[in-house]
Amino acid sequence: MKMQAFSRSRSVAVLAGAAVLSLALASCSGSTNTASSGGKTTISFSYLWGGPEGAAAEKIISEFNSSQSKIVVKGVSNPDMQKQLASMSSSSGSFDVSDNFGNNVGTWASKGVLAPLDDLLKTAGADTSDFVPSAMNQMKYKGKIYALPIAVHTMQLVYNKKLLQAAGVTPPKTTDELATAIAKLTKVDASGNITQLGLGNPDQSTSLTTLGYAFGGTWDGSSTTAPTPTPAEPGNVAALKFWQDNITNKYGPAKVTKFTAGWGQYMSPQDPFYTGKVAMVIEGEWQAVSIPKNAPKLQWGVAPIPVANSSLDGTTQLTASTLFIPANSQHKAEAATFLKYMTDKQAMLEFTKALGNLPARTSLLADPTYAAIPHMSAWLESLKSPNVKSLASAPYSAQYSTDLASAFDSVSRGTAAPQQAMDKVANQAKSYPMK
Amino acid sequence: MTTLPFTRRRRRRRSELYKGLAFASPFLIGFTVFVAYPILASARYSFTDFNLFQAPHGVGFDNYRAMLTDDRFLKSLANTLYLTVIGVPLSIIIGLGGAHILNLPVRGRPLFRALVYLPTIVPVVVGGYLWRWLLNAQYGFVDRVLELLHVPTPLWLEDPNWTKPAIIMMSLWTVGGTMIIYLAALQEVPVELHEAAEIDGAGIWARFRYITWPTLTPVTLFQIIVTIIAFLQIFTQPYLLTQTRLNSSSGGPDDSMLSYTMYLFQNAFVFLKMGYASAMAWILFLITLAITALLLLSSKKWVHYGSR
Repeated sequence: MKMQAFSRSRSVAVLAGAAVLSLALASCSGSTNTASSGGKTTISFSYLWGGPEGAAAEKIISEFNSSQSKIVVKGVSNPDMQKQLASMSSSSGSFDVSDNFGNNVGTWASKGVLAPLDDLLKTAGADTSDFVPSAMNQMKYKGKIYALPIAVHTMQLVYNKKLLQAAGVTPPKTTDELATAIAKLTKVDASGNITQLGLGNPDQSTSLTTLGYAFGGTWDGSSTTAPTPTPAEPGNVAALKFWQDNITNKYGPAKVTKFTAGWGQYMSPQDPFYTGKVAMVIEGEWQAVSIPKNAPKLQWGVAPIPVANSSLDGTTQLTASTLFIPANSQHKAEAATFLKYMTDKQAMLEFTKALGNLPARTSLLADPTYAAIPHMSAWLESLKSPNVKSLASAPYSAQYSTDLASAFDSVSRGTAAPQQAMDKVANQAKSYPMK
Repeated sequence: MTTLPFTRRRRRRRSELYKGLAFASPFLIGFTVFVAYPILASARYSFTDFNLFQAPHGVGFDNYRAMLTDDRFLKSLANTLYLTVIGVPLSIIIGLGGAHILNLPVRGRPLFRALVYLPTIVPVVVGGYLWRWLLNAQYGFVDRVLELLHVPTPLWLEDPNWTKPAIIMMSLWTVGGTMIIYLAALQEVPVELHEAAEIDGAGIWARFRYITWPTLTPVTLFQIIVTIIAFLQIFTQPYLLTQTRLNSSSGGPDDSMLSYTMYLFQNAFVFLKMGYASAMAWILFLITLAITALLLLSSKKWVHYGSR
């Protein structure tokens, strides 16, 4: 009897211990990223930037923190878009502010991923009228603001001066001249292996979408208020055909693929453009800061995107870097205060200057800081063109850009004909979410 | 020892049951919350349009119907079946053959066994990046060796016809696990039967066919089922081989490396089509179930258990 009592009390103790242990384990996995301590609210800013870009973000974060008595921002570098999205689906968020790109706003807003900002910005005292209008268009979904642009980007033709001089080529102005230039700037050794390519970076989707605009195509129809995917427009197909005729098929798909497989990492000192393996690229203004840093000896120039006819002169593609508050943030008001700070003139100037990006505020475009960066003025000027195009930020955009990237890949590898590849995307687009 | 009265015995038995349940509760609660509930929830979500962020709403069989006309779905299914149909027999044959070789009485046998097993303990992500370099079209070691042998050098990760063989090759790198299990099973083969058969004049093939193989069939059945499931769910290898900057979604050249689970993942976490992804998960489950059931049914004909 006594034995039994003893064993019962012992088993209760063991059970209690097990329960405590499992509770402790459960609380370990709970997120404690956002908390109030010492009267200050801590919010978390998770960004996709890394390296020097991340360092620039951290500098602004610390300036914000020292300007503030109520909010502490903690920065986390997390350059993985899939992880970013997945962590916004939990009921309590792991971050309160994050960054992405303009053409994702519609997809995410339509699904309730992003917090609507109109009221929050009003309370925080932010004014959105100064932002570049075409960028601001991308920030809205059904008339409401879901993100703010921290920077905008345009595309230009960036070229290696030495290689062009050696080949006797002047920067091409039309797509016909571009074709001639590619031929003169591509070198092949005795066994047919490519050692230098005239035009590079088909794996950056922006290269081919920009070229589509340069041939008079659009990717989301002509209406900005009711965009629809229009991958098979003649201009787009012409751009892809241009790529296949002048690069893929001309030098052989296997040879081109083999050459591109050996390319170093984009925007690292081993970037194929920086090392002279590629003579021209369609690139954004960030190169103005990246090239001096990663390839200080490179002699380079910037020219407008070559176009198919003169009515398309000044064609460029505008993209935007955005800041947003996820719908599951527990500290939206504080996050909005930080958002306002980041997109105010001073922080935006500092940040875009460090990254070599164009400012998203019209009032900053004339700031001498940008023109002082060598070559930057070419990209600044391009913003004034009437032919500034941008991809829609619609509910279907995320899936569309995945399908386009895959189709571009097939075209540039020569495994699909341009018309066939774009018809396939048009067919896939039939199942896209449109609202 | 006197017998306890009936009611007391029953009370005691019930209290034993409660105690047992209480001790098992960490597992039971964990299983219910993290396994059973998600499985049931995914069945429900598969009949809804659900994007993780907003409340799901019912769409009947729309998700299942949509699969029939979704060419990326069909492509991912075809890719996965290709990998399974080629990869599983190769794993089994190489595993079995390798086990026989490792079983030979040679010097340094433990060393060879360890070497063959070594890739299995290399983290799969590390292995993935390693293979990306080994198979690189410009600098890859594999093509360098093939070049020396004057054999054609495929563009492993760039040519849609070669990407799947590359994935299979990468998977076979870790065949050491299968080999070790076969090696253990080989120790069970009765030596006296081999000796008797040898005396009776049976050759190597006859002895394998009538002595070794029957003993190995239970292990083989297990290996086949486990390997099929692993190939049907293959994710990490193609995911790593197709990874791009900022980890945006990709399926390799012409989607040739888009495996079923990769497309499922893209639908769930990139396109936010959780309902569709759930439906895909159930279809994969049913496919796995059907294949396993067929294998178990067929096993009566070819699997021999020692006791029978």
